[in-house]
Amino acid sequence: MNDRNLVRGLVLIAISLAFGLPALRYPIGEFSHAGAGLFPLMVSGLLLLIGVVTVVRARFVEHVPLDFQARNIAIILASLCGFALLSHFLNMTVGIVFMVFCSAFAGSSYSVMRNIKIAAGLIAVAFAFQKLLGLNLPLY
Amino acid sequence: MMDVLHNLAFGFEHALTWQNLMFCALGCTVGTLVGLLPGLGPLATISLLLPLTYSIPTTGALIMLAGIYYGAQYGDSVSAITMKIPHASSIVACIDGYQMTLKGKTGLALFTAGVSSFIGGTVAIVVLSFFAPMLGEVAFLFGPADYCALMLVGFVCVSFVTTGSLLNGMAMCLIGVLLGQIGTDVTSGVQRFTMDLPFLADGVGLVSVALGCFGIAEITKNLDNREERSPFNGKINLIPTWAEFKRIIPSALRGSVIGSFLGILPGGGPVIAQFAAYAVDKKVSKYKHEIGSGAIEGVAGQAAADEAAARTSFIPLMSIGIPENAVMALMMAAFIIKGIQPGPNMIAGHPELFWGLVASMWIGNCFLITLNVPLVRYWLSVFKIPYNVLFPAILFFCCIGTFSVNNNLDDIYITAAFGLGGYLFMRLDLDAAPLMLGFILGPMMEENFRRALLISRGSFLAFMKRPISGTLLALIGVFVIWQLVSFFLQARKKPAPKADADRPEAALVPE
Repeated sequence: MNDRNLVRGLVLIAISLAFGLPALRYPIGEFSHAGAGLFPLMVSGLLLLIGVVTVVRARFVEHVPLDFQARNIAIILASLCGFALLSHFLNMTVGIVFMVFCSAFAGSSYSVMRNIKIAAGLIAVAFAFQKLLGLNLPLY
Repeated sequence: MMDVLHNLAFGFEHALTWQNLMFCALGCTVGTLVGLLPGLGPLATISLLLPLTYSIPTTGALIMLAGIYYGAQYGDSVSAITMKIPHASSIVACIDGYQMTLKGKTGLALFTAGVSSFIGGTVAIVVLSFFAPMLGEVAFLFGPADYCALMLVGFVCVSFVTTGSLLNGMAMCLIGVLLGQIGTDVTSGVQRFTMDLPFLADGVGLVSVALGCFGIAEITKNLDNREERSPFNGKINLIPTWAEFKRIIPSALRGSVIGSFLGILPGGGPVIAQFAAYAVDKKVSKYKHEIGSGAIEGVAGQAAADEAAARTSFIPLMSIGIPENAVMALMMAAFIIKGIQPGPNMIAGHPELFWGLVASMWIGNCFLITLNVPLVRYWLSVFKIPYNVLFPAILFFCCIGTFSVNNNLDDIYITAAFGLGGYLFMRLDLDAAPLMLGFILGPMMEENFRRALLISRGSFLAFMKRPISGTLLALIGVFVIWQLVSFFLQARKKPAPKADADRPEAALVPE
C-alpha cells in the first residue's frame, strides 16, 4: 500500500467517483442539447480512465515509497482554522496571535519572544492594510 | 512598422504616468522579492494581490501583476546563482550559475543574468508588439470547436511540460476542470456539487485554490525539509571585462529568440524555454566545451530565454483569449475581475491597456536591471531572515488575501482544505500548476464544448471537420500515440524504468 504510484491512482479514482457519481443525478440531456451533468460526467470518466491506467501502471514500474508527514500540515491547517474561528467569534487580532503561536510549532525552533515580535509586526501590518488600503478587516 | 511605433508611443504615454510608474516599480520589487524567496512563487503572489487590486485602476493593476510575474523571473536567477536554490523557473540557472559562484565569479554571473534578462525582455517586447495584433486577427477565425481543441492542446502541452508525465499532468488538468464545475451551471441554473452549501453556489474561489495549492502546500514542504539556508556572504564584483561582456551578447540574443518563440506556443513559458536555450547553447556556442562547468554562455542564454518567454506568453492570452500556462490563467482572471475579456477584441477595444502594458514591460525591464544588478547585494540580505520568522508572515498574508476577496471567513476553511489537497498532490508527485489552468479554463471549455455540439446538432464530427480544430486534435492524437509507444518500448527494454525518467529537470541537473 505504501507505494506512491498506486496511491496516486487510487486517489484519482476516488476523485473521479466523487464528481462522477453526483453528476449522474443531474440532467444529462443529449449531445445536441447537453444537460448540466453531461460535461462533468465525461470529464470524470476520463479521469477514472487515467486513474485506472495509473493503478495498472504502478504494477509495472518501480515502487516509490509515499512520503507523507502529517505533523506539519496538521499544524498549519489547525492554525488556519483557529485563525478563522477566533476572527469570527472574537476578533482578528486574537486570531493573528493564535496563528503565529500555533504555526510556530512547525518551525525548527520555538521561541516565545520571537513569536511575540512576529505577532506584533503582523498586527501592525494588518492595521496598515486596514487604514491605508481600506481592507475591511475585523481587527477589533 | 510606423503603426507599431505610433502605438508604442501611445502606450508609453499611458505607462509613464506617475501612478503607473509607481505600480510598475511596486510590481517589479515584489516580483524580485518573491522570486528570491522560497515559499511564494509568482502564482501564489499574484493570487494574493488579486483582492488588493479591486480598488486600483485597471491599467495600473495589470501593470503591477505583470511586473510581479516577469520580476520573479529576474529574482529567481539570483537565488539560483548564489545559493543553488531552484525555483520552478530557474532550474537551469543552478547549473552554470552556481558553478560560476563556486569559482568565485558570482558578480559576473549575476551581471550576465541581469543583462541577458534585459536583452531577452527587450526582444520579447518587440515580438509582442508585432505579433499580438497579428494573431488577434487570426483569432477571429476561431469557432467554439476550435477554442475547445486549442484548450485541449494547452492542457496536453502544460501537462507534459510542467510535470514531464502526460498522465499525471492530464489528471491534474481534469481535476481542475471538475473543481471549476462546482457552483451554478450557467446554462441551466442547476447547482452542481455544492452539497447544498450556500457559499459554494458561486463556485470555489480562485484565490482559495491558488493559495491552498501553492502557498500552504509550499510552506509545508519547506517546513518538512527543515534545512536552514546559509546566506551568501561572498564577494560580488559586478563589473565584467570587455572580453567577458562580448561573450554575453550572442548567447543572450540566441536565447531571446528561442524564448520569444517558445513563449508563444501553448504550454510554453519560461521553464521549457530555458532548457531549450541551454541545450542550443551547448550545441552551437563557441565555448560549448565550457558549458556545464560555469560558462558565461550557460547563464546568458537561459536567462534571456526565461525572461523573453515570460513576456511573450502574454501573446496568446491577449490576442486569442486562451492562457497557455497557469500564471497566464491567473492573469486572465485578473483581466476578468477588472471587467475586461481578453481576446481578439481586447487590443482594439482597450488600446490604452494593451499598449500601456507592453510599454510598462520595457519600463519594468529598466527597473529590474537596476534592482538586480547594482542593488543585488542588498537583496541577498533578505536571506538573513530565518524561515521560522518568514513562514508565519506568509501564512498571515495567505489568510488576509483569502479573506479580503469576499470579506468572508468561510473562504479560509476552503483555502485550508485546498492546502491539504495541495500537500497531498505534492506528495503524490502531482504538480498543481495544470490544476490551476484546468480550473480557470474548465468553465470556458464546457461552454464552448456545449456550444459546438449545439451548432453541429450533437455530432462530434464537427471537431474533425473544421480545419483548425481538426489539425489541433490530430496533433494531440499523434502526441498521445507517441507517448504510449515510447512507454511500451521503454518498459520492454528495461523491466524497471528508473523513476528519474519522469522528471526532465531531475535528469538534466547535475548534482
